[in-house]
Amino acid sequence: MSAIAMNVNGSNVRKEVGDSTLLVEFLREHLGLTGTHVGCDTTQCGCCVVHLDGVSVKSCTVLAAQAAGRAVTTIEGLARNGELHPVQKAFREHHGLQCGFCTPGMIMAAVELIATYPGRLDEHVVREEMEGNLCRCTGYHNIVRAILAAASQMLGPDRVVQPPADHMPAPRKSEG
Amino acid sequence: MYPLTYHRPKTLAEAKEMFGAGADATFLSGGHTLLPTMKQHLAAPSDLIDVTAIAELHGIAADGKLLKIGAAMTHAEVSESPIVRLAIPVLAGLAGSIGDRHVRHRGTIGGSIANNDPAADYPSAVLALNAMVVTDRRRVAADDFFTGLYQTAREPGEIVTRIEFPIPTQACYAKFRSPASRYSIVGVFVARTDKAVRVAVTGAGASGVFRPAAFEQALAADFRSEAIAHCSVDPALLLSDLNGTAEYRAHLIGVLASRAVAKPGQIQSFK
Amino acid sequence: MEPKLKFKAVGQPIRRNEDERLITGHGRFTDDFSLPGQVWTAMVRSPHPHAAIVGIDSSAALEMEGVLGVFTGADLAADGLGEIPHNPVPSTKYDMKLTGRGGTPVYIGDHFLLPTDRVRHVGEALAMVVAETRQQAQNAAEAVMVDYDLLPWVADTAAAAKPDAPRVWDALPDNVLVDSSFGDQENTAAAFARATHAVSMHYHLGRVTGAPLEPRAALGHYDAASGRYTLYAGSGGAVRQKHEMAAVLGVTPDKLRVISFDVGGNFGTRNRAFVEFGLVIWASKKIGRPVKYRADRTECFLSDYQGRDLVVEISLAIDAEGKFLALRSDNLSNVGSHCVSLSPLSKGSGLITGSYDIPYATLRSRAVYSNTMSTQAYRSSGRPEVNFALERLIDKAARELGFDRLELRRKNLIKPSQMPYTNAVGSQYDSGEYEKNMDRLLEIGDFAGAQTRKAQAKSRGKLYGIGSTNYVESSIGTPKERADLIVREGGIEIVIGTQPAGQGHQTSFAQVTADLLGVPFETVTITLGDTDIVSAGGGTHSGRSMRHASAVISMAVTDMIVKAKTILAESLGVAPSDVQFEDGMFRSPATNRTVDWFELARLAVTLSPDYADGVKVRRDNEMHTPVFPNGACMCEIEIDPETGGLEIMRYATVDDVGRCINPMIVHGQTHGGIAQGVGQALWEGCVIDPDSGQPLAAAFTDYGMPRFDNMPSFITEIAEVLSPTNPLGIKAGGEGGTTPAPAVIMSAIDDALRDYGPPGISMPITPVKVWTAIHKGAGAI
Repeated sequence: MSAIAMNVNGSNVRKEVGDSTLLVEFLREHLGLTGTHVGCDTTQCGCCVVHLDGVSVKSCTVLAAQAAGRAVTTIEGLARNGELHPVQKAFREHHGLQCGFCTPGMIMAAVELIATYPGRLDEHVVREEMEGNLCRCTGYHNIVRAILAAASQMLGPDRVVQPPADHMPAPRKSEG
Repeated sequence: MYPLTYHRPKTLAEAKEMFGAGADATFLSGGHTLLPTMKQHLAAPSDLIDVTAIAELHGIAADGKLLKIGAAMTHAEVSESPIVRLAIPVLAGLAGSIGDRHVRHRGTIGGSIANNDPAADYPSAVLALNAMVVTDRRRVAADDFFTGLYQTAREPGEIVTRIEFPIPTQACYAKFRSPASRYSIVGVFVARTDKAVRVAVTGAGASGVFRPAAFEQALAADFRSEAIAHCSVDPALLLSDLNGTAEYRAHLIGVLASRAVAKPGQIQSFK
Repeated sequence: MEPKLKFKAVGQPIRRNEDERLITGHGRFTDDFSLPGQVWTAMVRSPHPHAAIVGIDSSAALEMEGVLGVFTGADLAADGLGEIPHNPVPSTKYDMKLTGRGGTPVYIGDHFLLPTDRVRHVGEALAMVVAETRQQAQNAAEAVMVDYDLLPWVADTAAAAKPDAPRVWDALPDNVLVDSSFGDQENTAAAFARATHAVSMHYHLGRVTGAPLEPRAALGHYDAASGRYTLYAGSGGAVRQKHEMAAVLGVTPDKLRVISFDVGGNFGTRNRAFVEFGLVIWASKKIGRPVKYRADRTECFLSDYQGRDLVVEISLAIDAEGKFLALRSDNLSNVGSHCVSLSPLSKGSGLITGSYDIPYATLRSRAVYSNTMSTQAYRSSGRPEVNFALERLIDKAARELGFDRLELRRKNLIKPSQMPYTNAVGSQYDSGEYEKNMDRLLEIGDFAGAQTRKAQAKSRGKLYGIGSTNYVESSIGTPKERADLIVREGGIEIVIGTQPAGQGHQTSFAQVTADLLGVPFETVTITLGDTDIVSAGGGTHSGRSMRHASAVISMAVTDMIVKAKTILAESLGVAPSDVQFEDGMFRSPATNRTVDWFELARLAVTLSPDYADGVKVRRDNEMHTPVFPNGACMCEIEIDPETGGLEIMRYATVDDVGRCINPMIVHGQTHGGIAQGVGQALWEGCVIDPDSGQPLAAAFTDYGMPRFDNMPSFITEIAEVLSPTNPLGIKAGGEGGTTPAPAVIMSAIDDALRDYGPPGISMPITPVKVWTAIHKGAGAI
């Protein structure tokens, strides 16, 4: 057991935990921040992505001890003064989530991508850079659109190439 | 995971002392292979010695002939480093193609080569570029460092501190990724210097990363894709699994070597 | 049917009520719950596909730090715990009736929480360890020593059906538990005899798993003071879990509360109870503390219910002009070690003739046990399998006989004038415009530009393929549903027993309710997932929820209007017949009063304290008649012939879902459905090593998932051909993306590889298989 102290979502926390405690376990089980999820054992799914000193990491593959003394941001810490982050809003607006289990990791990954990607963001870049996050519900179509829409708002439209508008005619109606 | 004790030494001396004191100690760098292995109960070290706070393992420098990369530098740091991009751009590109962006924020070059996963990207670059692996006690040439699947020449308690890459005149890398694991089914790194051409293949060898001699000789004589059209690797020396038969891998080695050579200075990732 | 509707919310892409909690990290998934004093459990699982349990030595485990108990099947038997009553044989009026040989009852092997005799698949739990922490429980589980007597095993579907195959259940003479025949033998034989052509195909559509991203989890709590159990467990329906787990425990259902709020993906594979659900509540009473379980992903791969796995032998008789005359099919379904559901076999059996007017058919439907994890209805239960068989056979017939594959389909499609249409095995299709679907598809998929794109692909060194399929599927599901409708001054509440796992019921049901009552969408809340509030309900599966919910809510609203008129009449001192309701408002011409629902609730409280918590109506509905969603689907691929790498360049669908309540949600369902069907075609496979019986896919590193970078953007279009079978004309929108996907991917690959020999690559069609087909001929795989 060791005393682990870090800053989580702007607050300093300190807990006595076993040295094998993973960062995601520290957040979920010791701090009650259950928005960060565990979806696999092999660092594949990305449900557990948080920011460690502003950098996206899979918190299931970081020991709490490795994060000691550093700053962690989780999905719970993204909204500021009750105002949702533009990426959170875009996920809702573009139906970028269904069951919502992958969503916290997905949003945290997208926030970091938009904040750090040096070039122009387009559909291809988003699909390549987001490959470390799995979603089983959406087929990714709407998540791509949510990320690009948020990026346009955050970076300005010049930095983002939007995909073609969705084919969404009014349904063909028939009384059967 | 099993219970363990975590250590974070600041110096190599401390790290060595901690390693010696642990019943079954292991070094931890980025942890992106070791921690999943421990979660699956396939490893159970008594002590984890986190080497990432040791100053000697950090830093990137180049002097025109050599590019030196600290063992604890992450894939993201290597891929974004202006020094690496200038000295050996393909190496930056390779680092930027490993895993996914979150993995690249944690995984390190030293951890990757010390682990020597048969499908990892870095060992092919280290071997093809004829790099020198520098440890806390000696210098080991790449040809002597990788000794088999997950095996290296590292002695118990030996810490990789940096890797020194001779800067080639040309280098290129092409790989084909598994749709599931995202590791390379085959990756081919080609490096050309004034003296020779070295080719290293990852993902495919039954004994890990290796150098296909026929490809090197052909390219040394004529550094064009056409020169290796007749070259092949014996499938008997290659892995066979869900991702591909040995025969398929043998074929991909030829295809990827050819595609690599056709675009010097570039990394190409296929799927 | 009353009430007459003015659609305001229905049909609109209203943003979801569910999202705010999920995008801020405040979802309520099972593992998010913790209770004071809780302890953890881990399972001891079989490493063998088939073995007798000779002995279990838990002495070393019990000595380990934190361990509170190790329990086996014998402990459960001593407490009199029963089997899980899965009721696997589909039994609504319109399900295909499956039986054992000669019409005998289907033999269902017992499914206790932990076995006492044998383990029948790799990963089967045979003991549980309870400890203070999860880590302690997992480490102690490794220290439980089990003495096994290894038995012969069989995993492959066709091999399991052989008379001399190793037997999974001794009570059966072999592994065949279902052997039923359907259709008209005589006329089918006659049609084949007079047919100009007959084409046949054999295919094994393999095993996959649902892989919801939330690993299954359970938290059990026994409260000694009240004698009640509480189970937190995400599933496809809390009410079903309550009844099944109460039966296992041998208590009345009122003694068990099940809570299933947010569920991190279901896709059908969570619609049957998992043994850990019963184990945590039983162990909680045993230990005297809440007991929690969360599966590792590897445990999910080994012991989540799986999907598909059907061997099909199919033949089609065709006349000289290309008219389909008759069809024969022999379908063999692998149910795994325990039979938890025969829905896939039954569903597929009813749809064997697909979207086509095929006058005669015969069908033999069999199911076999094997030493594999059990299969269950997985997204579009049974339909992708038979759709694949028929659509691939049509492509094959077109190629072999020289017909155009689109025209051959068009010639045989069922026409709107034939609706309702009874197919050759007795399924009655409700409505649909199949040819219009196909016409729209050809347009939005730009078939006209295919040759140009093919030439462009070729110039880039790529092989180009385009494929298309039609599909029809059925939505049946549990026939009963209940809605409680509560009108309060502060808003409207619906309590209902469906269980979403991302489908947006809290939004789409509110849209329907709002329009039926004539109130703003924002005033309606939907309550789900807690059996102390939700008294009855059929859960979510088979695309049933929107249809059943809208039907029972419609009825509840009708009842509520009657009740409201009575209340208002009393309040105003007029006769109920003097109160009129229209467009959300009650009017009494005699008094010139106009009252909305919220005012009504306020007036009701003044009349009687019974209305203090709102005006309530409870309505039950039983609706057996199935609906038949349908559509058409295309895709375009490019193959790198040197590597076997494959890229989807274009993917388009037209889906007739009946009335579409929320197009944003329906399109989203289609997208996700496509991904799951494409995943099976290209990457996903629960492969078992033929030499050892060991599953080879036990992590996302081995089991290829659809990802951002291997999925395309989609072109999806909705058709609303209303169903005459239910008040709003709803069919279903959750599974149409999946049903045709394996067939359409294979159709495109077949087209791309047509110069390289006959098709027949087994799914998943990974790059190595594509490469092998190109370089050695498809027959080499």
